[in-house]
Amino acid sequence: MEKIMVNFTLNNESVDVSCEPDKMLVDVLRENLNLTGTKIGCREGECGACTVIMDGKTVTSCLLPVAKVAGRTIQTIEGVATKEGLHPIQDAFIEKGALQCGFCTPGVIMSVKALLDQNTSPDKDELREAIGGNVCRCTGYLKIEDAINHAAEEMRGTCVKDGGE
Amino acid sequence: MKYVGKKINRLDGPDKVTGAGTFSSDMTAPGMLYGKILRSPHPHAKVIGVDTAEAEKLPGVKAVIHRGNVSQNSFNSAAPMYTTVPYLKPVLDQNIFSEKVRFVGDEVAAVAADSEKIALAACKLIKVEYEVLPAVFDIKEAMADGAPDIHDPKLTPEGKNIVADIIHLPPGPPSDAIDEEFKNADVIIEEEFKINIVKQCQMENMAALASVSQGGKITVHSTTQTPHPTKAILAKVFGVPASKIRVTNPPYVGGGFGVRIGLSAKAEVMAIALSMATKKPVRVIYTREEDFIATDTRHGAIVKVKLGAKKDGSFVALDLKGYTNTGAYCTFGAELPGVLGAMNLAIYNIPSIRYYGHSVYTNCTTGGAMRGFGNPQGNFALERVVDMMAVKLGIDARKLREKNIMKAGEPWFLPYPCLSSELAECINKCADSIGWENRGSLNEEAGHLKRGLGMAVGTHVSNGWPFCVDYDNAYVTIQSDGSVNLAVGCCDMGTGISTSLPQICAEVLGINWEDITFTFADTDATPFTIGNHASRGAYAQGLAVKAAADDAKKQLMDFAAGVFKVATENLIIEDSVIKPADAAGEAVSIVDPITLPGAIEEADAAPVPPPVDHEMTKLSDSSGPKTGISLEGLVYYAHIRNKQFIGIGRIIPSNAPPWHCCAAEVEVDTDLGTIQVIKMAAAHDVGTAINPKIVEGQIEGGVVQGIGFALNEEILYKPNGEQAHKSFSSYMVPTAEDIPEIETFIVESYDESGPFGAKGVGECGIVCPASAIANAVANALDIDIKELPMTAERIHELISQTGS
Repeated sequence: MEKIMVNFTLNNESVDVSCEPDKMLVDVLRENLNLTGTKIGCREGECGACTVIMDGKTVTSCLLPVAKVAGRTIQTIEGVATKEGLHPIQDAFIEKGALQCGFCTPGVIMSVKALLDQNTSPDKDELREAIGGNVCRCTGYLKIEDAINHAAEEMRGTCVKDGGE
Repeated sequence: MKYVGKKINRLDGPDKVTGAGTFSSDMTAPGMLYGKILRSPHPHAKVIGVDTAEAEKLPGVKAVIHRGNVSQNSFNSAAPMYTTVPYLKPVLDQNIFSEKVRFVGDEVAAVAADSEKIALAACKLIKVEYEVLPAVFDIKEAMADGAPDIHDPKLTPEGKNIVADIIHLPPGPPSDAIDEEFKNADVIIEEEFKINIVKQCQMENMAALASVSQGGKITVHSTTQTPHPTKAILAKVFGVPASKIRVTNPPYVGGGFGVRIGLSAKAEVMAIALSMATKKPVRVIYTREEDFIATDTRHGAIVKVKLGAKKDGSFVALDLKGYTNTGAYCTFGAELPGVLGAMNLAIYNIPSIRYYGHSVYTNCTTGGAMRGFGNPQGNFALERVVDMMAVKLGIDARKLREKNIMKAGEPWFLPYPCLSSELAECINKCADSIGWENRGSLNEEAGHLKRGLGMAVGTHVSNGWPFCVDYDNAYVTIQSDGSVNLAVGCCDMGTGISTSLPQICAEVLGINWEDITFTFADTDATPFTIGNHASRGAYAQGLAVKAAADDAKKQLMDFAAGVFKVATENLIIEDSVIKPADAAGEAVSIVDPITLPGAIEEADAAPVPPPVDHEMTKLSDSSGPKTGISLEGLVYYAHIRNKQFIGIGRIIPSNAPPWHCCAAEVEVDTDLGTIQVIKMAAAHDVGTAINPKIVEGQIEGGVVQGIGFALNEEILYKPNGEQAHKSFSSYMVPTAEDIPEIETFIVESYDESGPFGAKGVGECGIVCPASAIANAVANALDIDIKELPMTAERIHELISQTGS
């Protein structure tokens, strides 16, 4: 298949990628752009390890042909922390022991970020629904929930401090 | 204690939350090729011929390997190849490619190409001629006369398709004395149970990146849980010296749960064979489907229990039998039935006990190690029978357990003592949490929703001995700036061992936490360890780390004593400052030894400096602050005298029993047969919890895996031998939306045999949950549960049969 040039915004920077249009976003991220933080657990959209955020919503990047990403805004795990430090979600995952092997962690954090970016006071059902597509075989999810609640609280605090809602 | 017992944040946390942490499947190498495997569509067939001509012609294909052009050395892809202890002998029943395929997914050929896509296309161009043979999938059918022989009968001298040796416990010649004991029982219950084949479902698929240098040195980045044994196995597979092979994790491993003790299925073997054929680095990553069909599962099992008790509830005799489905190849099939028996004979103190068990070859995917290693299979059967006994005797199931459980110091048949047990307190904690006093009064007469409570107890091991070889080494190197490298040769597949072991090391050495760095497994750079399985990390590797740190500290303190001119025992080290023992907890003034009179002149006389009489005054002067030396100052002072402190720990562990209780509350919809777990409580005696946050995570994860094991996880086979469950969408592991309220308790004991009193943790979480849930369902419905998983279909059928 002939290659095409695809432009999209990745972690706040514009990128151009030359590749087959049916190449999945996860492979473009990992192979063309050397961003291996996004993981592959099944390639069938069933485990959530490859979760990234596209235009504010989570997508399983293993099922998304890169042609469909043209002109969109993508955020991956590599774009969550800043030079100043870790994001409150990342801090909370460490503090609450919400990770073990770490292979699902990037995908889980992207699902959590998509949720908390919209809603920093999720109830238990909203929270569980948000990570319901992310399989974690190590933690039993309890400490992940704990971390999400902790991060949400931190983010609410930050909003107040910054004069937000 | 400053570090041991503290909820310290994991050292691997920042790497893992930022996506910066690398796993085998992230690794690449210059000029790397991609490997793909052609697998058998038949469960049992002779491979008559493999025609690779068309595949080789495909542009981008660099090599096609098959039985005709690779090493034909026999091996066992799991650690027993290298860790089996007499009287068992390693069962070497695998080849890179066998003359027969024995399960759907067995390896037939492999391709290295410029891309995965090309390699996959080439696999489809390989023509294989098979002579299809009759296949068998069921344990009992496989042992019956007339069943097809899965392997050469010479490999199965004990009987039709029976793997290796039949295991008899207690050790020694089999005895019939137990039959006499049963005559003393007032009640005897004898039942047979069937346990499902389930899958580890670790999140990272099997992966290996291998490169073979011009000089023949083989380097493999791999997902193995046991890099050092893996090196030894690969040396035998390829007939090369072990010293020519380097196995390393890069450094992270995306879960294991036993599936990669030894090789990562055949990922390393294929990557190396293809790299040898192409003289290029080759990476092989399994797909999720390959993980389901062609990497070891948990053994499905049939377990028979015969339990005799007096009217007062005291158990008098327990006769256990275990038959485990090892599938196409042995891997752990020789050892696992022993653990099934031993762990379930050890829970209760019973005058007469006996176990008979073995594995059986079938044409299922190979059954191997999975968290719990035979123990959960036996636990389900035994703990169901204990509940049945309670019903029959009219004794509360909790009280019946409390009356019979093994207690610390009581003699048992295992070759190591039971030094500690807080099982009784674990039972209290779970009973209180679940509201045990309400058991039996949860349901109204009418209504289709029935609630029930259940409990189960169990024990496990803290390392592999006496079931397999078990020893460890560790190096502690104090750098010339006072910081410390700890090298153990193990991976961190998620268990937190790369944090727990530094905690032990820092505790012994008395150093600052931020000064310690953990060196992950690299067989060229770390000393030998058996690796991470059998719940052994914190216990056995912990002992090696403690020994290495003790050794380094002794060297350090003896040296410091010379500088201070006091006896070693009068010095301590706290927060990386060496000071008088009577200044514990106090601030001291720090003297840099390099500034002491004569220090420089002495160093100038290197390499063998004469002793110099330093003025190290006011060591214990009560008038002002006491004097100390920073670790940094002391080791630099030593460094310029050509001295470094390297501690070596070499240990052979004893073993110790962790104990656990799990309780469950369930609600069953009797119209639909569906089970809702309302609450789980789990209490564990893990000795000293080195890091309680990590231990809690292990227990919680185990409980949730146990819920899947109990309710729906199962791999079934279609009539043509194909696996019916080979994706997450058909297999369905628990998600965040499936979990009930879970309360966990760490009930600490102190086991003299472990580092700082610690015992094993990792596997314990999954031993009891399914048993407790099954007992709760039986309690809710007043029916006998004898099979896992308790799918809605099975429960509905049971309800229909009993009319309850």
